[in-house]
Amino acid sequence: MSAGIGVDLESLWIRFGDFVAVRDANVHIEGGDFFSFLGPSGCGKTTILRAVSGFLEPSEGNVLIGGKNMKGIGPNKRPTALIFQNLALFPLMKVWENITFSMEIKGASAAERRRRADELLDMIALPDQGDKLPSELSGGQRQRVAIARALCAEPDVLLLDEPLSALDLKLRQHMRTELREIQQRVGITFIYITHDQGEALTMSDSIAVMRAGVIDQIADGKTIYNDPATAFAASFVGENNVFRGKVKRVMGDEALIATNRSGDLVARISTANRGKLAEGDDAMMFIRPEAFAIAPEGATGDHFVTARVTHEEFEGNAFNIFTEGDGGKEIKVSIPNLGQSFKDHTGQNITLEYDARNAVVVPAGELAAE
Amino acid sequence: MNSSFLRISIWVYLAIFFAYLLGPLVIMSLTAFNSSSFPRISPWECLTFQWFTELFHDQRILNGIKNSLIIGAGTVVLSVAMGLAGALMLTQIWPKLRATYYTIIIAPILIPGVVLGISTLVFWDRINRMLGLGADSVLSNGVFLTVIGQSTFIASYCMLVLVARLQRYDTALTEAALDLGATHAQAFRKILLPFMRPAIASAAVLAFLASFENYNTTTFTFGEYPTLTIELAQKVRYGITPAISALAFIIVALTVFFALLNEAKLRRQELVAAARRNAMVQDLGGKIRLPSFFAGNMAAVLLVVFAVATITMVGTAAVYSPDQCIANVKEQKRLEAERRIQELRKQREEQRKQREAQEAEQGGAAQSAPKPSNNSGFGGVFAPGALGGGADAEPEAEEPPKGNGGFGNVFDPNSLSGDQ
Amino acid sequence: MPSFLKEFFNRNGTGMGLTILGLVLFWTIGLIILPQLSMLDFSFRPNLPPPEIGGPKDVYTLENYKYLIYGPEGGSQDYNTVDLRVFFRTLVAAVCVTIFNLILCYPIAYYLGQSKGSHIRIFAIMLIIPYWINEILRAFALRIIFGETGVLNTLFVGLGIWDTPFDFIRNDIALYAGLGYAYILLMIFPIYNVIESLDRNQIEAARDLGAPWWRIHWRVVIPYAKPGISSGCTMVFMLSAGALAAPQILGGPSSLWFTQLIYQQFNDNNDWPQGAAYAVVLLVTCILFVLAMMRLFKVNMGDIGK
Ligand SMILES: Nc1ncnc2c1ncn2[C@@H]1O[C@H](COP(=O)(O)OP(=O)(O)O)[C@@H](O)[C@H]1O
Ligand SMILES: [Mg+2]
Repeated sequence: MSAGIGVDLESLWIRFGDFVAVRDANVHIEGGDFFSFLGPSGCGKTTILRAVSGFLEPSEGNVLIGGKNMKGIGPNKRPTALIFQNLALFPLMKVWENITFSMEIKGASAAERRRRADELLDMIALPDQGDKLPSELSGGQRQRVAIARALCAEPDVLLLDEPLSALDLKLRQHMRTELREIQQRVGITFIYITHDQGEALTMSDSIAVMRAGVIDQIADGKTIYNDPATAFAASFVGENNVFRGKVKRVMGDEALIATNRSGDLVARISTANRGKLAEGDDAMMFIRPEAFAIAPEGATGDHFVTARVTHEEFEGNAFNIFTEGDGGKEIKVSIPNLGQSFKDHTGQNITLEYDARNAVVVPAGELAAE
Repeated sequence: MNSSFLRISIWVYLAIFFAYLLGPLVIMSLTAFNSSSFPRISPWECLTFQWFTELFHDQRILNGIKNSLIIGAGTVVLSVAMGLAGALMLTQIWPKLRATYYTIIIAPILIPGVVLGISTLVFWDRINRMLGLGADSVLSNGVFLTVIGQSTFIASYCMLVLVARLQRYDTALTEAALDLGATHAQAFRKILLPFMRPAIASAAVLAFLASFENYNTTTFTFGEYPTLTIELAQKVRYGITPAISALAFIIVALTVFFALLNEAKLRRQELVAAARRNAMVQDLGGKIRLPSFFAGNMAAVLLVVFAVATITMVGTAAVYSPDQCIANVKEQKRLEAERRIQELRKQREEQRKQREAQEAEQGGAAQSAPKPSNNSGFGGVFAPGALGGGADAEPEAEEPPKGNGGFGNVFDPNSLSGDQ
Repeated sequence: MPSFLKEFFNRNGTGMGLTILGLVLFWTIGLIILPQLSMLDFSFRPNLPPPEIGGPKDVYTLENYKYLIYGPEGGSQDYNTVDLRVFFRTLVAAVCVTIFNLILCYPIAYYLGQSKGSHIRIFAIMLIIPYWINEILRAFALRIIFGETGVLNTLFVGLGIWDTPFDFIRNDIALYAGLGYAYILLMIFPIYNVIESLDRNQIEAARDLGAPWWRIHWRVVIPYAKPGISSGCTMVFMLSAGALAAPQILGGPSSLWFTQLIYQQFNDNNDWPQGAAYAVVLLVTCILFVLAMMRLFKVNMGDIGK
């Protein structure tokens, strides 16, 4: 899949005065990939994108596009096209003029532009809407016009800054598939920014998880979900239950953690941290709600947790059980609804069981805010 | 009762206020059509258009208009450009400099125009000398100095108008254009400028009007190129004639016309927008209504009335001749004057007799003379003081303002001009 | 290059950036700052014929300022009473005009700001039209009305209310009316702008609490409208103190305006440095006065010019 033009960030630092917005980012983006930056709002995603598209000079380090250093090359000379967070459609131009603006700049004739606009309008499934003004379109239509406008410039790399955040849930899910399809059709590199892990997981070939200017982990979605490199990545991507403690013993790929509340528990050391955890280190262990099962009463051992149930809820596809957990947080347990009878445990102690391969331990670190 | 009293007093207040505001303009406009050679509406002599003719033959006025237009064009270009640059800078400037910068560019609005005129004159005179240029160089040219001097503060007005719109501009639009391959100049021309166009138009109109009417600054800088305002000021200071009223009338009429035009256009846009909104709810057909441009559009109706009135007026002016009326008035005045003089002579005679009898050394007959009822007829021509002069001479009622040498200026209404 | 400039050029491009920067520098430095400094410098120099400028006689002196206070050297009086009187009269009269305008315009601005409907727009046009018409013509119109044989005198004498025409011009009534007339719009608009944004509910609430209308204004509307009021007053004061056309046309023969003295120094006496000194005095006094007033009424500089 590496027909397209790739992008590299080399030791990239971006500062605003004393404030460090991006700290030593090193990223290799394969040509033709759908690459996502995933992180909470304010972590520096837009800043990275602006450095790639050329609106920001990096304070240190380099941006390479197709192996070529972009230092001193302005945004209008880079083979990138950016879809702005607020779309930035030109309000006084008709849709077709918006779409073919990049051709107008190059001096293409009106007829030529019209023809190209019609092609692109067909592609984004908005035929015959070319003569409207952007203000006369719906949110989803505007979204697609912005994509068509960017594609019309025939960029090697398309940059998208939370393009779906203004849409409602239904449309957002629809546009996910559509974006992915468009990317596969045109075959160029997409760099996608989002704070929505669902979007990142469903669309991306590769994801970089960002936290306050730092890139914590770069991997495909499955790896990030199953094998997070940091406490932040583990807690930010998907729901996760945290158990704090100290490493009691390292046993190859696994470790025994003396947790603060739930006794000694065993877990797999995440791949990125193998060999880095030593006995006595502060550690955090994560178990996903769906990795628990209810154990027979009285069972004990290093993969059993006993806790008091505070409340329960029924979600349709699953029963959720919430128990008292570590540091004031609840432990969430999610039991798939397979039609089994389900007894209410509220107020009682229950014992939970998990497979050590589904629990992961990382060095203690910052957690994502709820 | 209390609230109706309040309501009535509000309306009375508004009436007085607008009478103060518009009354002078209406009266001034009317005086343009009175054949009396002093601008007044009472007594009304004859409807005439002669003052317009006189106006259009006044070389100085025409020249003034030409200079005003040249200077106005220069000022519009320079101050809109500087105002736009100033506004762009204001939105981008380093926050620490912002307050200082704002104070500097807003200050010219508050600096008295006289001071701006003087400082412009003094500064460019010095530059001119430093460069060793003569008195006829560009830098000491009246047009250049006036454009520069006026733009100093007019640019501030433009900046205020432009920055209001610029604040609603999304800079991402410019970035989007750059991102799509436009140069900075292209992005400016194709994206920012069209967005700013309405504000630029407002600023340009404002700048032109401000330049056209400016007096305080221009009076120091105009050099060899007196603008219309300067010429008007000279005329008004040294003697007023209805030809000035005629010019004022034209300006008032143009102003009202454009104001109505603008208002009608705005109303129309609103109505169209409203109609679009209603179109889905309400079927537009089936009713008899005015042509859509007029429906509910007072300003448009007024505009048409205005246009009709103008055409009527021009038409009348083309065929109307007030000669007969003016001749009548002249004749009347002459008769009246003769009657007065007779009366006066008689009074004099009597007084002389009295004086002789009493042997008083009072010289001024006027003091003791009964006030003539001069206000019923010809107002100022026989102003009270008039009797004090050489009362024996023949007052030439036909031509009060000029050439009444024997009378000093007591018969001259222009004695008001304060050139004591 | 400071980072601010670097960012500025990045954002605007070199060509556009230079154009913007050039225009702004030309305006701020070339048209605003340097001419004022130049005038200040000039006011401290003797009046010399052009060939001697820059020569040995061209030294700094306080003569021009002394002249305003003490009059010509060896003059008959200790102080330059004529010019000083004109100066103070101008300031006092400008204050009076400002107060008159405020009283006249506040109700209108309040009414326009608080009522809705299309007649407001017509009112606005009626307000603006006189302002579009030449300053000279506005003064001229008042001259027609206030003249000795003008409309008012004809009317009043004709009705028998007065038996002799009243000399509005010699008594400066025409002048004050003219100055007030000229700046009505500048007083109304800032106040209107502020009052328009005042929430009607505040007034309703005050009325509900039983406050009489004058108290509502005193306690609610006026404090809220203070920025607009001070903005309007500042402009009207500065412009009336600096007015030239109205005093020339409407002023009585015996009462000069300070700007007329400046004008005379330049055009009749050909004494530019003296005129510049008077202009500096006018400018500085007006600014200090406005700043003092703003201090007194606790208004911020940022409110002006809105
Ligand atoms: N031009 C700027 N000047 C100063 N700080 C900035 C600037 N742009 C962004 N920042 C700061 O950098 C951080 C990252 O911003 P951004 O990249 O927009 O976050 P996000 O991940 O939500 O897109 C934020 O804390 C923001 O306040
Ligand atoms: Mg962002």
